[in-house]
Amino acid sequence: MTSLSAQLRADPTSFVEARYDEAFNLSREELDEIHLHGLQKRFNELRPRLAVLDALAKEQGIEHINHVDDAVPLLFPHTVYKSYPLSLLERSRFDRLTHWLAGMTTTDLSGVDASDVHTIDDWIALIEKTTEIQLLHTSGTTGKLSFIPRTRRQWDDTVRITANSLRDWHGAGAGPDVLKDHMPLVIPAYRYGASSSHRGVDRMVRMYAGGDDNALFLYPGAYYSADVASLAGRLKAAESRGEQGKLQLSPALLARREEFAVREGDRPEQMRRFFEAAVERYAGKDVILFAVWPILFEWAEAGLARGLSKVFGPNSVLITGGGSKGRVLPDNYRQQIFDFIGFSRYYEYYSMSEIMAGCPRCDEGNFHIPPTMVPYVLDPDTGAPMPRSGRHTGRFGLMDLLPDSYWGGLITGDEVTLSGWDEPCACGRHGPYLHSTIGRFSEKQGGDDKINCAGAPEAHDKAIDYLLQQTQG
Amino acid sequence: MKKIWRVPLIIRGEVIDEGAVEFGGRRGGAVFTSPDVGKHLEQLALDRPSRMADLYSLSFDDIAEYLGRLSERLNLATNPHMQEAYELSRLTSGLSDSILRNHYENIPHFFRADVARESAENFIGLDYLEGWVPQVSRVNPALTVKVRAFGARAVHVIAGNSPGVAAQTVLRNAITRSDAIIKTPSNDPLTAAAMARTMIEMAPDHPLTRHLSVAYWKGGDTNVEEILYHPKRIEKIIAWGGFASISHITRYLQPGIDLITLDPKHSATIIDSDAFADEATLRHVARRLALDVGAMNQEGCVCARVVYVVSGTDAKGLERLNKLGKLTFEALQELPSHLSTPHKAFDPELKAELDGLRFAGDEYKMFGGRNNEGAVIVSQSDAPVDFSRLLSGRVCNLVPIDALDEAVLSVNSYTQTIGLFPESLKDRLRDRLAYQGAQRLVSLGGAATLFATAAPQDGIEPVRRMCKWIVDESACAELLEGLALASDATAVAA
Repeated sequence: MTSLSAQLRADPTSFVEARYDEAFNLSREELDEIHLHGLQKRFNELRPRLAVLDALAKEQGIEHINHVDDAVPLLFPHTVYKSYPLSLLERSRFDRLTHWLAGMTTTDLSGVDASDVHTIDDWIALIEKTTEIQLLHTSGTTGKLSFIPRTRRQWDDTVRITANSLRDWHGAGAGPDVLKDHMPLVIPAYRYGASSSHRGVDRMVRMYAGGDDNALFLYPGAYYSADVASLAGRLKAAESRGEQGKLQLSPALLARREEFAVREGDRPEQMRRFFEAAVERYAGKDVILFAVWPILFEWAEAGLARGLSKVFGPNSVLITGGGSKGRVLPDNYRQQIFDFIGFSRYYEYYSMSEIMAGCPRCDEGNFHIPPTMVPYVLDPDTGAPMPRSGRHTGRFGLMDLLPDSYWGGLITGDEVTLSGWDEPCACGRHGPYLHSTIGRFSEKQGGDDKINCAGAPEAHDKAIDYLLQQTQG
Repeated sequence: MKKIWRVPLIIRGEVIDEGAVEFGGRRGGAVFTSPDVGKHLEQLALDRPSRMADLYSLSFDDIAEYLGRLSERLNLATNPHMQEAYELSRLTSGLSDSILRNHYENIPHFFRADVARESAENFIGLDYLEGWVPQVSRVNPALTVKVRAFGARAVHVIAGNSPGVAAQTVLRNAITRSDAIIKTPSNDPLTAAAMARTMIEMAPDHPLTRHLSVAYWKGGDTNVEEILYHPKRIEKIIAWGGFASISHITRYLQPGIDLITLDPKHSATIIDSDAFADEATLRHVARRLALDVGAMNQEGCVCARVVYVVSGTDAKGLERLNKLGKLTFEALQELPSHLSTPHKAFDPELKAELDGLRFAGDEYKMFGGRNNEGAVIVSQSDAPVDFSRLLSGRVCNLVPIDALDEAVLSVNSYTQTIGLFPESLKDRLRDRLAYQGAQRLVSLGGAATLFATAAPQDGIEPVRRMCKWIVDESACAELLEGLALASDATAVAA
């Protein structure tokens, strides 16, 4: 048994100390051991302190985990972290939202008094001020924000693990060791925020760049507002309740909409300043660039249009990922991005807000699952797990073994194809991996040309989307 | 080997059954082949309106007699075409076999001679269908105006969640003496064709047989729609369904084409505090509510989804509402199988939301919802669940309120039916609900079980709108000539 395997078996969070590449060199037996022991450890430690997990275990009649598949009935639905009623936000009942959140975590929230809070942003700040939790919220593309109760230490680990992957993914020490040798950090986005793409940024500035003097943002000093991110979903919900819904829209929310519109109006000027600063401070220098593909493309398009290209040094690194989020990008979007930024070394991850360490993509195009995540492929109809051998397509379920204060078991909304149990990937790495064909189940609903008279007011939604586009610029 | 179903193209009495193009089959769904409609467009479109004349050789008695005979032939037990349509629908429909069978067995009822006659009388008026009806004017007795309802050349883009939609379309086409091209949906490509085939076998040359075409093409197929949706070829489009199916069509709208849309809708329920009068009343209300939620397995736009109850929102109010929730769930489980069963294809997206509710702490109480048995979610505050638009498969949401106003103001123009209890609530709320956008008010329990065949639909009169209302104005010859001569003789023309 390798020492890494023994370490991970004893404590999955020790992954943060590991040489990242070794994690993809474990034998099948070692991996099975890490998975089973991790599941047992998390279940045994969290069940007594997490009422929702205890209730689910009771209901499913699960007392022990003897086999990896025993945990499948304990995976939470992907709706869990947004199971609160939206009406709590409209009525400024952040005390009840806190009560809801307290059920999801072992972190003590009893000292949080949210009775005077009126916006999500203030609520997130209050929790950060009074507890160990630095909440993460999703971007709300589905209309409702999920809130994930990640702690300070867990955030430290997440950001360190990403740094380790930069260093070792292509072999031990093959990449930059940014925790030791700081690099300038360039992010075409907000400096502050609690969304999945902003929450880690504060640490990246400190741990990768060595401070704000060595970092550049499109919106320096600006905060990505959760209230604004939730705007679309809340307006839709209000519309579906007619006049009553409109009467109940939170005045605090409507006030933020104005503020956001003003800020967006300033966007072209901010973009101009950002480009100027990027060229002035970092032209030809190696940097860390962090952004999802659609944002990068938007940036590259604007930059190329200004006549800028090959902006950064050849040994820069790009940290990226994410789907197109509904945007249609041209076939050559990556080439356009590389032309603009001047380098093509990128690290791409399959990840989601609910998990702490993402799955890096190899040169074969596959996403490799780190040993701290127990993957399941579930039958889309029955929810039963597919065998842990061969190649299977189905709904992706997972247990993230890293979080120790909330339950990392989740059934995602993604359809995946998974292989790697029996043979290594063509890139040489061992262990399970996801093929690049990852899709959303929700996009598969409905079927072709099926017409029903019962339905949601889609036309109405389109109108609201349009209005929102007007404010979002 | 998976069965490949054949869906014929039927053009005015002629059956074209050449397969050719394959459709469907997504995620294990039924696969069917149908002729390439693009190759038969010239025949399909009736570009010579003079050919409508044969319909006017018929009296309404002839039409009623024809439909009566058809009614007898549409019997599911004996009609192989209807049997085939039923078999395919078992694969494509969201309805369980027992409910679907009930719907097919009810189809002959629509076509009974007396039902057809009453439908025609109530929708339009037999006199308008049969001849020119003088319009009496006391203001201007010198001018005679007569009006007649004529049929039109129409494409019907129909919904497939119940075979009744196809049946109603065939009936409406016959009583209005119209020429219909029914564009079938992939969730019911055969029912309309089965009826057309039965008509051909019964009376191949009858004008009613010769003015019904049934075709499947994929909605949005520009090869078909660019040619067909032209005022030279059709006058009306009657479109059921969602944004996607309507937005295909709006591209082709132009002067000369009248679009009648039957938009997707949702329905709701309002129950006043009378429900809690005593135990027996509560059970009674629960049974009637279960009918509104469960009948048609909640596949219809008429089925109840969000249920506002004046229970009060304090602890006592929630307690009694929870009791109603429990009783409603029990009643739902006891509904007869020809009306309702566990859903055979429960929406996984909704299931994930229901699974999420158990983590919502004390914000909701849920009865059922473990598998496909249906569920009653009771909100513990006066707001519906955030996923109310996904409610289906016999899942409803009871929402406690303190005053009726909250329920009334929650109604909008996408609310089709509202089930009400007690009956007296109708007198109190009827007008206000109409202002908000509601289109049909029913006694609780009647949402998906009472079907007044000849009532307006969705707040519009689609059958009247299917007709062309033609006017004949007359005045005496001298008066008209006088207009050309005298400067003060303008009154008649006003």
